[in-house]
Amino acid sequence: MVFTLSVNGDRLASTADPVTPLVDVLREEFHLTGAKPVCREGFCGACMVLVDGKPAPSCLMPVALAADCEIRTVEGLAGGGTLNPIQQALETCDAVQCGMCFPGMVVTLTHLLTTTSGATRDDIRAALTGNICRCTGYERIIDAAVLALAAT
Amino acid sequence: MADVSATMDLRRRDASDKLRGRTRYTIDRYLPGMLHAAVLRASVPAGRIVRLDTARATRMPGVHAVVTAADAPGKIGIGIADHPLFARDVIRYDGEPLAAVAAGTLAQAQAALAAIEVEIAPLPALLTMAEALAPEAPLVHPDWREHEILLEGGARAGNVAWEATVVRGDVDGAFARTDVEIVESTFRVGRQNHVAFEPRAVVADYEDGRFHIETSTQVPWTVRNATARLLGIAPSQVRVTVPPVGGGFGLKFDLAIEPFAALLARASGRPVRLVNSREEEMLTCLFRENAEIRIRSAVTREGEIVGREAVVLMDCGAYGGEQIFLTTMTAHTLGGNYRLGSVRLVSRAVYTNTAPNGAFRCCNGVYNTFALERHTDEIAERIGMDPLAFRRRNVLGDGDLGATGQVFEGDVLGPMLHRMDTLRDAAAPPRALADGRLYGRATTVGTWFVFVGPSAATVNMNADGTATLVTSGVEIGSGSMMQSLPQIVASTLGIPPETVIVRAADTDAAGYDVGVGGGRTTVSLGAASLSAAQEVRTKLLKVASDLIEAAPDDLVMREGRIEIAGAPGSGRTIAEVAARAQAQIGPISGTGAFTGAGVQAMPGCVAGHFIGAIDIPIFAVHDCEVAVDPETGHVEVLAYRVVQDVGRALNPRAIQGQIQGGVVQGLGYALHEEVTIGANGRVCQNGFETYRVPLAQDVVPVEISLYEGAPSIGPLGTKGAGEVPILNVGAAVACAVANATGKRVQELPLTPPRVLELLLDRKQDIALPHIAAAWADNLVRPHNQPDRS
Ligand code: FES
Ligand code: FES
Repeated sequence: MVFTLSVNGDRLASTADPVTPLVDVLREEFHLTGAKPVCREGFCGACMVLVDGKPAPSCLMPVALAADCEIRTVEGLAGGGTLNPIQQALETCDAVQCGMCFPGMVVTLTHLLTTTSGATRDDIRAALTGNICRCTGYERIIDAAVLALAAT
Repeated sequence: MADVSATMDLRRRDASDKLRGRTRYTIDRYLPGMLHAAVLRASVPAGRIVRLDTARATRMPGVHAVVTAADAPGKIGIGIADHPLFARDVIRYDGEPLAAVAAGTLAQAQAALAAIEVEIAPLPALLTMAEALAPEAPLVHPDWREHEILLEGGARAGNVAWEATVVRGDVDGAFARTDVEIVESTFRVGRQNHVAFEPRAVVADYEDGRFHIETSTQVPWTVRNATARLLGIAPSQVRVTVPPVGGGFGLKFDLAIEPFAALLARASGRPVRLVNSREEEMLTCLFRENAEIRIRSAVTREGEIVGREAVVLMDCGAYGGEQIFLTTMTAHTLGGNYRLGSVRLVSRAVYTNTAPNGAFRCCNGVYNTFALERHTDEIAERIGMDPLAFRRRNVLGDGDLGATGQVFEGDVLGPMLHRMDTLRDAAAPPRALADGRLYGRATTVGTWFVFVGPSAATVNMNADGTATLVTSGVEIGSGSMMQSLPQIVASTLGIPPETVIVRAADTDAAGYDVGVGGGRTTVSLGAASLSAAQEVRTKLLKVASDLIEAAPDDLVMREGRIEIAGAPGSGRTIAEVAARAQAQIGPISGTGAFTGAGVQAMPGCVAGHFIGAIDIPIFAVHDCEVAVDPETGHVEVLAYRVVQDVGRALNPRAIQGQIQGGVVQGLGYALHEEVTIGANGRVCQNGFETYRVPLAQDVVPVEISLYEGAPSIGPLGTKGAGEVPILNVGAAVACAVANATGKRVQELPLTPPRVLELLLDRKQDIALPHIAAAWADNLVRPHNQPDRS
């Protein structure tokens, strides 16, 4: 069986077993290794992608369910050569450390930025409950989100 | 010296790719033709292998190679070589590797594991240090006398894998004085999992008769040497390269799964990828060890500490690992904060039938600081002195002796406490909480050190005016490789830091290095890089001096030019000089090497130590405010402040990022992270659902003040800054909770049920009957007697 997936605007074909987690198909078949399978339990958010515009952990989504959806991964979030506003703010705030959580952070925060206005620090903290970072202690990430929100 | 300051606000060059998901970590590498590997692990904590038959697995679909203990003859370790790659005859922990398979797909490899026939006769398991130290306890290593000794001097016997002692002054005399109060405290802490987001991962290949290992490690040279030792080959047969590492925290400071992949690559003739599953990382992590501690002090009513003794039991799990080395740390983490008239300490690494432990950010320091600071509060309470006044009176200052008789230079902790007073007093005054929660506050001190050790660096000057820095340093996320090292090279050469290319670690290209950890990157690799850059500078200035017709001493290197001092715009660009040099005398490069000065302990003070004293002490003062809910036992951190001794801050923003991250990791340790071992010998927390790390909603912004100017042998006066932030978080939170509740806090983490038990007075005092009442009865060998085992 062949699935056709729409990933970052491209139509891609997969021959994976229908229950294969989307994250594995993205990484192993399409070599989109941005999404990271860190916990595989839906807790850490490092594998987060946008599915029809909404953030979802790609470790919990069987590829068969993704077949009719628009998938956007972290690789598809920067506009051409430039970073998107949240990526830019995260860079400006020197938020990145090991970087493994950031593909998911960028997905969640890009969504927050495009759907919300006037989010407070507490709102941002709440929005990040599904994204764990082991390195940074979060504050720089929240600073960046505040900065990006202020600029939009 | 450099004309340009090395202090910069340089942004990380790796951020943009990391933010786009373009960075290729080891887990992101997929080579053409690559096989996938999986490891068969024991599911009993102790047993004898009766039969291990891989014949059926070898014939399974897709299988290319199966390897077992017969393929890896050597043993590794620190101090003693007690650790084989695969269990041989005896299984010592749940999760111990038995065999490894490489197949076309991971599913095929896992299916083959299931086809390996194993018969195991279970043996009684020792799951706690109390059990392991019981008089008639079976031995985890019945053959402990046969282990090859790599460092002479540690006392060992039975289940005590290693014992390190410190004795300075007349402790018995101090405790016998009639003018002292004797205060005794006991403590217990659990294991902490690093939860590095990138699991341990490796891709190995066997090329032209040599192994090439690409791995997620902090220690490329250790991987090279230890792999060779296990496989029984020359270290030069192994090349290790390291892509960006997705988090380490000390977890990757030791050999991990690399030899399995190497063996399978050789056996199959194909590249082999092996990645630990999250469950493997949770169950067999080299955790921060659980520990049990007793401290006693003899203190005068005026607050002088005339005598102190301590016994520290560190659970090393089934193999000695890094705990053998870490027994050394007790001398410095328990004996480096306060002036002590006399002191004796013993720290013992104890074997149990549990997954081996390892190094984790401020290893040994976090729990010893917790114990010491709680003990300090108990002393202050006993003698009726304000805890902060007691600390001010006793912290080590210029010329004071540490536990091992080392003389400390400079007044550092005292002024840092003063700095903290200013920070704290500028904040809102303590409040009675309107919601009925209990308010508490504490200020604690801590001493850590830079693990110095040898490093090498080469700087190649390129004809286009850029420089390439070649080291065995690894970027694990702390930014040292992206910020401080290029800053040091750039400032020495007067070029923009963005034009210093940092080469990824490759043991074939760069010289020996101890590894990235212990806060040593900026210090050791920094010093080596500085001296390599200085050699380049000297050579360039010589060429330039002919070109510009001025003495080298009259020239400066700044903003990409070599100019006559005081005449901006004169001279030539560095690129012109470099190109001229290349044509005339050949390409310019410089090499640098560095190692610690090696401070000595007072003669006779220490036994079984890997280092007698510390080259670069680092101090920290932490202040914490908490609210404790009397109904639920939930502890909320209201405010957190850090004054950290950084020597000299090359990139203050980068250091502040490390402090925020380290404190939050410490809050997890203090409040909810704990690995426990079930009755079956298996770690109970097998994933993120059962092991809770701090979330964005759990944390507060840390108020930070960087304390500069303390003495340091580090380049440009630097000290390591990334390790220390976690050091006294457990201590500060515990002391604040004790302050809030008026209860005796003896254990971490302070989970709500534990705090509730404290509040309801249902918590029994922690008794450690396996720690003998008389200090000397805790030794397998009297202090300073030679090893006769
Ligand atoms: S890997 Fe999907 S949420 Fe953690
Ligand atoms: S930067 Fe390492 S996990 Fe977030």
